[in-house]
Amino acid sequence: MAMQSLLPAGDFRTTYAADTVIFPTAAGRYAAIAVVALLCFAPLVLSQYWLSILIQIGYLAIAALGLNIMVGFTGQISIGHAAFFGLGAFTSAYLSAKLSVPVFFSIPLAALITAGVGLVFGLPAARLKGLYLVIATLAAQYILLDFFSRAEWFTGGVVPAIAQPFRIFGFTLRGDHRYFYVVLVYLVLSTILVTNLMRSRDGRALVAVRDHYLSAEIMGINLTKYRTLSFGLAAFYAGIGGALYAHYQEVVSNEGFTIDRSILFLAMVIIGGLGSVMGTLMGTIFMVLLPEVMEWVSALLRGGSIDQALALRNNIAFLREIAIGLVIVLFLVFEPDGLAHRWRRIKAYWKLYPFSY
Amino acid sequence: MTRTHMLLRSAAVAVLFAATAANAQVSIGHLADYSGATADVGVPFGQGAADAIAWVNQRGGVNNAKVNIDTVDYGYQVPRAVSQYKKWVGEKVAAILGWGTADTEALTGFVAQDQIPYISGSYAAALTDPTGQSNRAKPAPYNFFYGPSYSDALRGMLTWAAQDWKNKGKPGQAKFVHMGANHPYPNAPKEAGEAIAKELGFEVLPPVQFALTPGDYTAQCLTLKNSGANYAYLGNTAGSNISVLKACKTAGVDVQFLGNVWGMDENAAKAAGDAANGVVFPLRTAVTWSDEAPGMKTLREISKLSDPSNAAYRPVHYVAAVCTALYLKEAMDWAAKNGGVNGPNAKKGFYQKKDWVPAGMEGVCVPSTWTETDHRSTLTVNLYRIKVAGATEAPLNDLIKNGSIKLEKVTSIELPRKAEWQGW
Repeated sequence: MAMQSLLPAGDFRTTYAADTVIFPTAAGRYAAIAVVALLCFAPLVLSQYWLSILIQIGYLAIAALGLNIMVGFTGQISIGHAAFFGLGAFTSAYLSAKLSVPVFFSIPLAALITAGVGLVFGLPAARLKGLYLVIATLAAQYILLDFFSRAEWFTGGVVPAIAQPFRIFGFTLRGDHRYFYVVLVYLVLSTILVTNLMRSRDGRALVAVRDHYLSAEIMGINLTKYRTLSFGLAAFYAGIGGALYAHYQEVVSNEGFTIDRSILFLAMVIIGGLGSVMGTLMGTIFMVLLPEVMEWVSALLRGGSIDQALALRNNIAFLREIAIGLVIVLFLVFEPDGLAHRWRRIKAYWKLYPFSY
Repeated sequence: MTRTHMLLRSAAVAVLFAATAANAQVSIGHLADYSGATADVGVPFGQGAADAIAWVNQRGGVNNAKVNIDTVDYGYQVPRAVSQYKKWVGEKVAAILGWGTADTEALTGFVAQDQIPYISGSYAAALTDPTGQSNRAKPAPYNFFYGPSYSDALRGMLTWAAQDWKNKGKPGQAKFVHMGANHPYPNAPKEAGEAIAKELGFEVLPPVQFALTPGDYTAQCLTLKNSGANYAYLGNTAGSNISVLKACKTAGVDVQFLGNVWGMDENAAKAAGDAANGVVFPLRTAVTWSDEAPGMKTLREISKLSDPSNAAYRPVHYVAAVCTALYLKEAMDWAAKNGGVNGPNAKKGFYQKKDWVPAGMEGVCVPSTWTETDHRSTLTVNLYRIKVAGATEAPLNDLIKNGSIKLEKVTSIELPRKAEWQGW
């Protein structure tokens, strides 16, 4: 078994504070700062296509971080995350377009409102476990989705709602090149917030609930409070992600928040690695890039000799969907601990290269 | 200078010209539904548009520039349409051939801002007001479509229905009901249809809902039966309408169904069998695939591009798609000669002719006129009735040949170009 920790031998921690630092090594800290700094230059070099993918990764990752708080850290489960994502999108669109709230404020406001609704749906869910919880969150998904298609005053009903573009100090940040920075700022902030949450008393309580709820309760942790809280937190980040999505697209349709997307969020968290912030980011990148990569492959196939020999034509689109499913299944079979685990293994391997012990 | 030299030089010049011509390209986007709720009619329409553009390219493209068409299946999902649109804006497409009502209406503001002509497969009347003068809809300066709007088609059908009721000499007031999914597309002509129905003396019943996807609609048919409706508008596309027609046949409902432009076609008649017998629906073109007209020669050439054996029977949507794509092509032709192919010029290209039929499509496409204040291209509603006689198991081509499925012209309604009918 390869070594998992990157700390050099003989480097002991002597305080609790040292045990909870975000970056255990200086190199890791510099690398993170360098990545963010490099991303700041992305709009100058990357094409619009790549920027749009990065933006997509950004707002989905924020929502997935929320789901990871609930699934990865608290051990709850939800298949209604997309509905909260949608609620954030519609709320921010409503606030900005109908009530003329500046978008700068409507995004956090939408997140808070979504968190409130999340807490309400979390109340019964906090008393449920396992499969019962799955069904309860399924109800949240359908109740909210039905609300979206009926509440015409709020969402426009079946007619897509319009969201205002992001404005700050008189500048309009619209289009991939500018909006990229909005998403980047929110992603960095959310990542820092979630990482720090896990170092706090409340964060540790959430993990305790996950690891053994009975022991946690005996230790004095209020189970109902923390389970409900995890719902609220998950909804909060889903709300931010959804609001960012709304102001990026500037159009919100109730078609985008079906259970498929809820499952997609779960897939991101599971593939990335449960209970890992880094893993969530990697899982999101994986799930966003996978269809794109499959699209390139099918574009290569189209009109080629294999296509003609098998008469695939329009079926390539369906083959692509099958391939995406297959890759996910294979991934779960061969890498059940997620991308985060694989990443740690790779780092450990190179740290000791070529003399692994 | 010797003769060979001159020959060589002219050859070199010719090669150079050919090279620049080959490099010149016009990009257009093509949003199609091949896998979503409206794929039943989306597939023939998409194929028609793609074939027409391929044919244009074979014959030199737009002013010697190749038309680079990017066909994308968006599965009738608004979010996918929006993100695809953003991609196309980045690629600076000159125009877009679009599809559904929900996505087209969502994009109306953007295409106006980005100045990209958007020729939709949606015929919602809200897209026909370029200036907003009607106060019924938001201005849609860059939206175009070929054919009567959903509302005008329904106005035409109800005008016919009122006459039909009189001719039949039945007692009392005829009852009209609007049927369809709760979705922007079937909802688009609801208000207009119910308003004119009242004007024409119909009793308007509460609308009946059924989803855009095929399913069991026995309950809806029983509602229809109990309500005693005489004329029912089917607002969905063929796929789900087939389910309704079959269920209503089983339930023994005696209603004259009025199909939407997308609600009926030859494939649907084959699938529904005798349940489709008698459905009246509007046609956007002057002919069907089995008719003869001067433009049919061109149309068959275009069809050969995706069907070299020429064995396929092309449903009405295919023919309409060819017309739609060729109108865009000629508008871009005009743009190319008047300052280059870009959005604003292509938009102007649509305004250049009156009662316009694309070259080579005489007798196929219905003469259309777009003006700067009115994008209702035509107010002629050609009504056809589906006639199904006998079993419909054989291939479509044979069914049409032996007369098992017939599209019989009922009448042609010429609606007045009323200002108060624009935009809804």
